[in-house]
Amino acid sequence: MLRRTFLMLTTSLALACAGSQANAACSPDYTGVTLTVASQTGPYIASALKLGADEWAKKTCGKVNVVEFPWSELYPKIATSLTASDATFDLVSFAPAWLPDFVPYLSEMPKEMQSGKDWDDIEPAYRERLMVWEGKIYSQSMDGDVHTYTYRTDLFSDPKEKDAFKAKYGYDLAPPKTWKQYLDIAEFFQRPDKGLWGTAEAFRRGGQQFWFFFSHAAAYTNNPNYPGAMFFDPETMDAQINNPGWVKGLEEYIRASKLGPPNALNFSFGEVNAAVAGGQVAESIGWGDTGVIAADPKQSKISGKVGSAMLPGSDEIWNAKTKKWDKFPSVLPGPFMAFGGWQIAVPKAGKNQKAAWDFVKTLTSPEVSGQAAITGGSGVNPYRKSHTANLQLWSKIFSPEEAKEYLGAQSDSINAKNVALDMRLPGYFSYTEVVEIELGKALAGQTTPQAALDAMAKEWNRLTDEFGRAKQLAAYRAAMGLPPKN
Amino acid sequence: MMRNDPIKHVFIWPAVLVVLAISIFPLIYSLTTSFLSYRLIPPIPPRVVWLGNYGTLLQEPRFWNALFTTTLIALIAVGLQYAIGFGVALALNARVPGERLFRVALLLPMLLAPVAVALVARMMFNPTMGPLNQFLSQFGLVNLPFLTNGHWALGCIIAVEVWQWTPFVILMMLAGLQTLPEDVYEAAELENASAWQQFWGITFPMMLPISAAVVFIRLIESYKIMDTVFVMTGGGPGVDTETLTLFAYQEGFKKFNLGYTSALSFLFLIAITIIGVTYLALLRPHLEKRR
Repeated sequence: MLRRTFLMLTTSLALACAGSQANAACSPDYTGVTLTVASQTGPYIASALKLGADEWAKKTCGKVNVVEFPWSELYPKIATSLTASDATFDLVSFAPAWLPDFVPYLSEMPKEMQSGKDWDDIEPAYRERLMVWEGKIYSQSMDGDVHTYTYRTDLFSDPKEKDAFKAKYGYDLAPPKTWKQYLDIAEFFQRPDKGLWGTAEAFRRGGQQFWFFFSHAAAYTNNPNYPGAMFFDPETMDAQINNPGWVKGLEEYIRASKLGPPNALNFSFGEVNAAVAGGQVAESIGWGDTGVIAADPKQSKISGKVGSAMLPGSDEIWNAKTKKWDKFPSVLPGPFMAFGGWQIAVPKAGKNQKAAWDFVKTLTSPEVSGQAAITGGSGVNPYRKSHTANLQLWSKIFSPEEAKEYLGAQSDSINAKNVALDMRLPGYFSYTEVVEIELGKALAGQTTPQAALDAMAKEWNRLTDEFGRAKQLAAYRAAMGLPPKN
Repeated sequence: MMRNDPIKHVFIWPAVLVVLAISIFPLIYSLTTSFLSYRLIPPIPPRVVWLGNYGTLLQEPRFWNALFTTTLIALIAVGLQYAIGFGVALALNARVPGERLFRVALLLPMLLAPVAVALVARMMFNPTMGPLNQFLSQFGLVNLPFLTNGHWALGCIIAVEVWQWTPFVILMMLAGLQTLPEDVYEAAELENASAWQQFWGITFPMMLPISAAVVFIRLIESYKIMDTVFVMTGGGPGVDTETLTLFAYQEGFKKFNLGYTSALSFLFLIAITIIGVTYLALLRPHLEKRR
């Protein structure tokens, strides 16, 4: 009897020790906790979330369930869940532009996460601007997004091409400084008989189209003499989308659509990347994914021949205040933080908020996010200083020259003085829907650029009045980093 | 059980309450919402505008464009479905060799989810990688703008609708054909009536009631088209292929403009009712002649 009792006691002690050792491996211990994250359909972003989920599971013994929705369905799914205050999602990943709509339903980031080495490592453009709404932090950037320029170095360095280009256009073939040069290059390489086209951009409704248009227009409308006036006049909230700067941007965007592969009008960003990686185009603009995918020998035919640069700019920018073109002594590059990078946040209605923020911490840590940034198709582009500083990290996919250009373009764009921020406003989808519709008409030649932009401006002004001009003005100024208006 | 037995209430009221809960109350709520200016995002407190939403909608060119597009898709697609479906049903009814195989094979499209069909169609019509354009390029027709030109895109949507829903017409018409009495045809043969005369004199009139029902069902269903358009074109280019349901979806689930969307839904209901009533009124004399 005594022997049996001793045996039972020993077994119990052994089990208890084993248990405590297992729990010690889970720090903090979230055994039994399953977090549900809303994401767009993979691989973009969803695969990065899964990478973070694996790391978090190893660290905390918790589980993360990534629920994927097509891009066009993501906003309604998240918005429906948030406005119903249900606890369907413990975390939501979304575009910064949607933040104003979601803020009333999100929990604030814990103060302890808003300081320290990892916090300071986030690029100021995200940490101090895109992650902030009315002075508070409700979300964490998990991706950095700025449009940059990608080109084929083999074509640009070919002496025959260089000579022929100079003979035709009178200047050297090199990454373009202006949008006119960008279109010249596209025209020069437009050779359908050889399976080569000038450029690739997204033109399809619902295919990230309007960000490409905004990138063209940013060069002519983001005036440093009157900051924050790209989309609306920050004094009156009058729509600016039909001013001459926007007209010029749209005319050039339409011209670019004719210098792409056949039926480029049906291109979304995915098709742009396929065209670039397939060696079909000489140049392109888009997010950082383009360069990473094009450099990957498994996915690309132009691996080792990928060049990057900042977006072209202009030496003439429309001034919304004086209603005149301002002339600058030299060309100002026109980087545009298109989309602004995916963000992740924790809804107030979530039942595992502490665990959810802990997951955010792991997901966006320099180590995990750095790994995601160099993984082609993860959708994660540099948003931390350590991402662009660590050349060693990027040597896995880029040659030294490619890495230097790619990281230089990313870093210079994000940190440029005149970087244009994307629009962030309550009722974002109402504003962008009319842009998509009218862009479709203008691209199809059903209406003139000016008429399309006038229709957008009319609807934007109507929406602003409907939502409350003063309220929208305050939100717009906050989004553009301007002080509140007295 | 007696007629006045109170037990009847135990059986009737649960059913009445269920019907009220799942059908009538949401309808009333929706009707009430249609008289409000009510947005969830950005949150705007509800404000009574009475018929304001209806007035705005009726002056909105996008609404009329969506109504026209939906009507065009419905009329052309259903017309083609009926003509092709009736023809195939007649062929199958004539006991052609391999009829059973055809019957099963022809029903397959109807069994697929419209979203899956639309996804496959989008691949087929893909301008650069789609097999259709590759095939047509053999004949010198290079890169037809299937989904990037409004007219072509409408044609593609109609083609997919016809492909997917003709089997339904075949199924119904074949069932009808198999119930027709043999002796009428034997009598017609004795009178040396040609096949054409037999069709117009016997088959078509006798199939009129079932034809009317099939076309009515397909017409109503076609007016509700959403998934195919959503996946194939998203309503574009511009709003060239935007249907009423897609317009309602954009307003309701993208812009969360609930009052406006409710009004749109009721206008849609009114439009469908008018079309249904007109259709039945036009057919009534012919159907009554058959009785």
